[in-house]
Amino acid sequence: MQEYKRIDITKDEIIPLAERMRKDGVILAMIHGHLGKDGLPVISYEYQIGTGIESYTITGEKVLPTISHIYDLAAEWPERELSELIDITFEGLDTSKRLFMPESMLEGQGHIFVTPMDELIEKVQKKKEE
Amino acid sequence: MSYIVPIAPYHPSLEEPVHARLVTDGESITDAEVFIGYNHRGIEKLAMERNFIQTMVLVERVCGICSHSHALTYAMTLEAIGGVNVPKRGQYMRVIVAELERLHSHYLWLGIALHIIGHDSLFMHSWDDREKIMDILELLTGNRVNYGMVTYGGARRDITKEQADQVLQMLHEIEESNKRLADFLLADKTVALRTQGVGVLTTEDAIRIGAIGPHARASNVPVDVRLDAPYSSYDDFDFNKCVYPTCDVFARVVVRVLENFESIKIIRQALDSMPAGKVNLGNKIPTIKPGEYMMRHEAPRGQLSYKVVTNGTEYNERVSIHVPTFKNAPTIPTMLRGNSVADAGLIIASIDPCFSCMDR
Repeated sequence: MQEYKRIDITKDEIIPLAERMRKDGVILAMIHGHLGKDGLPVISYEYQIGTGIESYTITGEKVLPTISHIYDLAAEWPERELSELIDITFEGLDTSKRLFMPESMLEGQGHIFVTPMDELIEKVQKKKEE
Repeated sequence: MSYIVPIAPYHPSLEEPVHARLVTDGESITDAEVFIGYNHRGIEKLAMERNFIQTMVLVERVCGICSHSHALTYAMTLEAIGGVNVPKRGQYMRVIVAELERLHSHYLWLGIALHIIGHDSLFMHSWDDREKIMDILELLTGNRVNYGMVTYGGARRDITKEQADQVLQMLHEIEESNKRLADFLLADKTVALRTQGVGVLTTEDAIRIGAIGPHARASNVPVDVRLDAPYSSYDDFDFNKCVYPTCDVFARVVVRVLENFESIKIIRQALDSMPAGKVNLGNKIPTIKPGEYMMRHEAPRGQLSYKVVTNGTEYNERVSIHVPTFKNAPTIPTMLRGNSVADAGLIIASIDPCFSCMDR
């Protein structure tokens, strides 16, 4: 069985943690994000430690520092994805080009996970009529 | 003089849409950029609107090749949150289908790679063998693409003694054929000329960018979730991690051919030592306590990860899917640099990409 452990951290701990993990040769499995029940973003950095995952989680922050200078493309693509889908700003990350969404989608926003389904359908319908 | 050569999104050497922009100096590629997102279907968003069993059906549709891998990983993640123990026989059934899926995926890729390098007769042989594997999958699951084999708490179908004997007989034929394929691929001059020293991804670059699966193993990075973090009874079986040191397209061919033998070995062991008992815990829609978990599975193309957040209802709060191509596609520009434009299609295809998987 693969273990999973959630550890809550603050925004300021993200970079020192990534530097330590990189130095120790730990693989960054993924950076995940979703909106919690209270509507606040929950972002987790999943590091592969032994046979399990340690999930370092930050709640309620919409602006985070990028770790793409530490973990290269292994961090850059997940950060660009979260930036597009959940509207998280990663300071220092180039988001001038879209990763998944067409440039024109939803008035250039395209944050589909923070937009309720009814609103999404309505907006897409409106776009089609135009 | 420097030119920009656009490749795809629709291109004969690519089975799915992706766009690459090559910066060239004559025939040589000096830089490249990859653009994805042509298959984004919003599956993660849809998963937030469906119950657990409906989501199992939905996630199988993320990919037409590794459909079982998606349902399996999603189910394992839910079971981990729910604290459910899957019956051993159900776990073995899941492993058998997962390894058959790996065989069919590897044969599919070998066929495509051989077709790109212009070896069409071997492409036909490879896909002939793949057809036999799909016949086995149809025999066991009733389907050839979306197998519908996984449910919360086990497998949806059991296997009879007669079916097991039939599978073993067919595996013997596939193994003999794979030996001939391996002998030919390792000795053939055409294959060597088109693949050796082409699309090199060094071990350092593979680790730096975070490559995974057969793509990383072909760059001499020994990663395999089945052995590094066993799940679903994989620790019951004796098999090897296939690693090759040359880091080029040839290494990616060799690793996949060798992995075919390992998959056959695992299926044989599972059929020979199939535990008695039930394969699942029933078919009710489960209500799972609030929680979160992340599980990983070694899909045919590498590590597939699912993170699921539940809220105590029978619906997902969040299903986050990350597939091997999302980790391997960023290596494409590094592999393309220094190669010729003529090899670009083969190099892009050499990661065994699944762009519809990646875009979700």
